[in-house]
Amino acid sequence: MKKIFNGLFYVLKFLLLIAAFALSLFIFIRMNMRLNKDIISVLPQFVPFLLLLILFLVNMIFRQEGVTKCLFYNLTCCLALTTIVLVSLRAILDTNMVLNSKYGYGIDFNFYDNFLAYINIMLYGLVLSNILFMFKEKDKNKSEINNESKKFKKA
Amino acid sequence: MKKLLLEYVNVFAYTITGLIFGCAFFLLFINFYHMQELAETVDVSTYNDTNKAAIESKVETIKNNINVYNQSSYRGSLSVYGLNNVQAKLQNCVDIIESEKMMKYLELDEIGIKDSYNFVVDYKNNILNDCLVMQVVSMFNTDTVESLTNYNIISPLVKVNVDNLLDSVNYIQNNIENSDHYYFTTDSNKNNFFDLVKDSYSSTMSSYQNTLDLLVEISYWYRSIVLGG
Repeated sequence: MKKIFNGLFYVLKFLLLIAAFALSLFIFIRMNMRLNKDIISVLPQFVPFLLLLILFLVNMIFRQEGVTKCLFYNLTCCLALTTIVLVSLRAILDTNMVLNSKYGYGIDFNFYDNFLAYINIMLYGLVLSNILFMFKEKDKNKSEINNESKKFKKA
Repeated sequence: MKKLLLEYVNVFAYTITGLIFGCAFFLLFINFYHMQELAETVDVSTYNDTNKAAIESKVETIKNNINVYNQSSYRGSLSVYGLNNVQAKLQNCVDIIESEKMMKYLELDEIGIKDSYNFVVDYKNNILNDCLVMQVVSMFNTDTVESLTNYNIISPLVKVNVDNLLDSVNYIQNNIENSDHYYFTTDSNKNNFFDLVKDSYSSTMSSYQNTLDLLVEISYWYRSIVLGG
């Protein structure tokens, strides 16, 4: 059961990261169009997304079990990224927020801006904990069993 | 030593993950809660029926009062330019009040936060700006109206009332706009928000009725000078 959930969250976190990044990119591009600013000025906002994606890929390629098999980490990733997706979607679609339609931009920048600090905290936090989980001590019993099975196979 | 260090790193990693879990959990569910709150609607069918009847009655009074003057049959000593001016301006106000833009709110049975907001904005644009400022205030600043009887009595009354009415709904609009920023729930916020739709609507309606009362006063003044002069 734990394996199934872990697998589910593991796949879901990739999808949610892409969705969160795409929605944030859309909002930032619209915001910059409104302010007539260059997109380069908001690039630092995408650094945590990029770092997280790189770490996820490193975890996957090097099969870092300390991270990939940590159910709690994968669940937290999904929860944090779902929050970012929800906040972004509400900023775009929740027309009950009057500022969404007041300025005629179709996006409630003020609402999104309120959550920007939390989004950064969550993303940088996930990056940091991901790096720390990489240093998890290898399970000695498991490695011994693996070594024995390799020896047994050779014999 | 290495093992101990790794243990500490692991504990630290779990702590950070736990904090992010708490933060994300809080923000996710507060968003659902806020979303639900913004979608709240209030039944105003009875309230609107009562107010619609009051508004129609006041409009009818204004119409009757301004129709006592007819330029072709008027034989009084007052300036016909001044009387024409007042009649035309009050008629413009009546047209604005009876317009579809303002009457549509009185037909609503249920209102949401957006209806409350649109009502405040339309009230400010159509009634306060187009009627009170553009018609009534400008009317009282013309020489022809200044020459009319009892101008010195009605003019300060209008000025004081207009000043009060112009500021009466700004806070309502600001309150509703600030509800977008609401995400840390407190009892105070919650109580304020639960009443925001209804209270904003009724406060705006109250200001609307006060504006009509002022117009009725002006129309009675007009009637009295036409019949008296």
